Amino acid sequence: MAKRFSLTPYLFLTPALIAIAVFILFPIGAVCYYSFTDYDIVTPPKWIGLENYSNLVHDPTFWKALSHSLIYLIVTPILIVLSIALAIIINRNLRGIHIFRALFYVPAVSGSIAIGIAWRWLFDAQGGLINGFLVWLGVLKEPLQWLAEPAYTLPIAMLMTIWMGVGYYAMIFLAGLQNVPEELYDAAEIDGASSLQKHWYISVPGLRPQIVFVFVISSLAALKVFEEILVLTNRTGGILDSGVTMVFYLWRQAFRLSHAGYASAIAIALLILTLAFSVFNVRLLERGIEAD
Amino acid sequence: MRSKMLAVVAVVSMLAITLSACGPTPEPIVNTVVVQQTVPVRETVPVKQTVIVNQTSVVEVTVPVPVTATPLPNPEAIIQGVEPNAEITIWTFWLSPTFDDYVKSTIARFQEAYPGVQVNWEDHQATFQDDLRNSFAAGNAPDVINLSVGEGWVSEYATKDLLLNLDDAVPQSVKDLYYPGLWKQQLVDGKNYQFPWYQGIGVELINRQIYDQTGLKVEDFPKTVDGLPALCKTIKEKTNTLCDIRLTVNDLLSQMVYEGNVKVISDDGKQFTFDSPEAVAWLQMYVDMVSDGTVDKTVLMAEQDRTGLDLFVSGKAAFYQTGPNLIREVRANNPGLYGYLAVVQAPVGKSGVVGKGLMGISVKKDTKFPNASIALAQFFTNPRSMLEFSKIVAIYPSTPASYDDPFFATPPTAIEDSARPIAKDIISKLADIVPTIPNKADVNQIVLDAVQQALFNNVPAQQALTDAVTKANALLK
Repeated sequence: MAKRFSLTPYLFLTPALIAIAVFILFPIGAVCYYSFTDYDIVTPPKWIGLENYSNLVHDPTFWKALSHSLIYLIVTPILIVLSIALAIIINRNLRGIHIFRALFYVPAVSGSIAIGIAWRWLFDAQGGLINGFLVWLGVLKEPLQWLAEPAYTLPIAMLMTIWMGVGYYAMIFLAGLQNVPEELYDAAEIDGASSLQKHWYISVPGLRPQIVFVFVISSLAALKVFEEILVLTNRTGGILDSGVTMVFYLWRQAFRLSHAGYASAIAIALLILTLAFSVFNVRLLERGIEAD
Repeated sequence: MRSKMLAVVAVVSMLAITLSACGPTPEPIVNTVVVQQTVPVRETVPVKQTVIVNQTSVVEVTVPVPVTATPLPNPEAIIQGVEPNAEITIWTFWLSPTFDDYVKSTIARFQEAYPGVQVNWEDHQATFQDDLRNSFAAGNAPDVINLSVGEGWVSEYATKDLLLNLDDAVPQSVKDLYYPGLWKQQLVDGKNYQFPWYQGIGVELINRQIYDQTGLKVEDFPKTVDGLPALCKTIKEKTNTLCDIRLTVNDLLSQMVYEGNVKVISDDGKQFTFDSPEAVAWLQMYVDMVSDGTVDKTVLMAEQDRTGLDLFVSGKAAFYQTGPNLIREVRANNPGLYGYLAVVQAPVGKSGVVGKGLMGISVKKDTKFPNASIALAQFFTNPRSMLEFSKIVAIYPSTPASYDDPFFATPPTAIEDSARPIAKDIISKLADIVPTIPNKADVNQIVLDAVQQALFNNVPAQQALTDAVTKANALLK
């Protein structure tokens, strides 16, 4: 018996499809087109074929930005480990634990620009808290200009990303931990397992779906890092481009140098990279779900 | 008996008169005032007139009579052919909310001078440039735009053919209102695209709490830029603080020209020349300061003036070069430091030119209402508008006539005003001595990379600049 065609589901889908077309598909198409043009935002684009991509391949700053973005992925495993540890610590029925849980979540709901400014003060060369503390301890003889040292730009930005994210991801792991059956811990205790063994053999395997999920979203966020670099380096990208990432370089080309066509080519390169990562992550996620 | 009768009549008469006085006043037959006179003034004037107040008596009284003024030509309305019922938009840069009253009252005066023109005002701040570029892209850019001359915005938009050429659009009598050096302060292909607006004077703000520890006198602050490295060394040795000096990373070529007297491009515009001995000497001065560890490197490479200003305002720097108008930031955010401030004239570079202008107002090339837009831009920059602005903040007019006001002869009382007596002399000498640079943003980025290589990566100044010239020349081909 042939199925009867019904228009109703398509009508329900239409608003969402229009929104996706206008706000996602059209911009992607436009960026794709601009990547083949010489476009300065204010005057009409001129078609130049593959010139932007050819320049991109020979642009050392692009490769530096790409390498910085890949280095930035280091935050992902660190975030996962720290968030799980924090989730285990706050997964206790201690008095006032709700207050601690809220406090750890504060960075997640604070604006990244405000946090960036606060971190800039922390690392300030003259009178910053970090310098003051290290000089007081005797670790430093005189204050260090942290944010003007190329070697420290990226690590400080990564530290800030971790600080901002750990509370948020800990909440995800906390929800996962509360789904792990209590009997498993009781059985392990009867078997003489230590606290560390209980968490290693029960908590961590129990959090597998959450770990995969956090891995996916935090690695994509790391590839797209921008605000931390913008604020910490005062919109410069750091001395000797030490903090320039893919998105920062895209922003600089588009809005500082008015090379929107070239910036579009960078955006397409970033799209390909994140797409590849997403496919990898989705496969990982599927494998994780199958394993469970 | 007869006398009794007379007495009764007299009493009755008096009663009648008294009672009649207590009754209603008789209506006057005529109460219309006719004044056959037209007086070409606005205020109420006393006019003698005849008023019949009752049937039997006529008196002369003086009463105030409002009369309608016959409009005289507004002396501020000097642009001809303003489109009737024009609706135009003006964008200003970082003036709201501090100067809301000033901007609104100036617009109100403009609308009196040019009745029927509707003005929409928007103030944009940190995202001004992004907003403006996007608005040009979207085809809804403002008609009148406050552009920074100091940051090179006028030339950026003029070279893209987005601004109205004012040299051709404005009569000579209007051009003559401004200092010639400021009218020509940012020419593109020999043409001017901005009305010079408020100007600043480069001054050094000195924090005496730190500076006095060096044993140096404020009066002996270096008069030339090349005196700064020695001063910074002394400050570091005596006070263990770093110098708050900033490279204008958005326009390094300009800084080279003013400070180092560097010729940055050949006369025919076909070759960059900023690797000359003068340029190397200029860069080497900063390289030495960085290697001596006497400057705050974050501020040195900061993109925005605010970064250096914030450091100074926080009380951690001995001096900082800025405009006297920004002393208000010290007063508002660190009143304790305000009492320890001293102000001296900023050191001059090897070019001997004190500097270029600060702000201009331009008109969008394809505005629907060019005359109304020109009128508004001109109105904001006319002598009266700028004088009034000067009275509320330490900025300086670009029109010589403004300085004729007694305000500029008044001895300064606040430290913000300390440059006022010498302002006219300095403003009259401001000039843009930087030639037109093709692909300016790209060339500046190349120079910035070269400067960073020399400052922070041990690349010799000569090599860094020569490499940069090679890269920049490639853009000219």
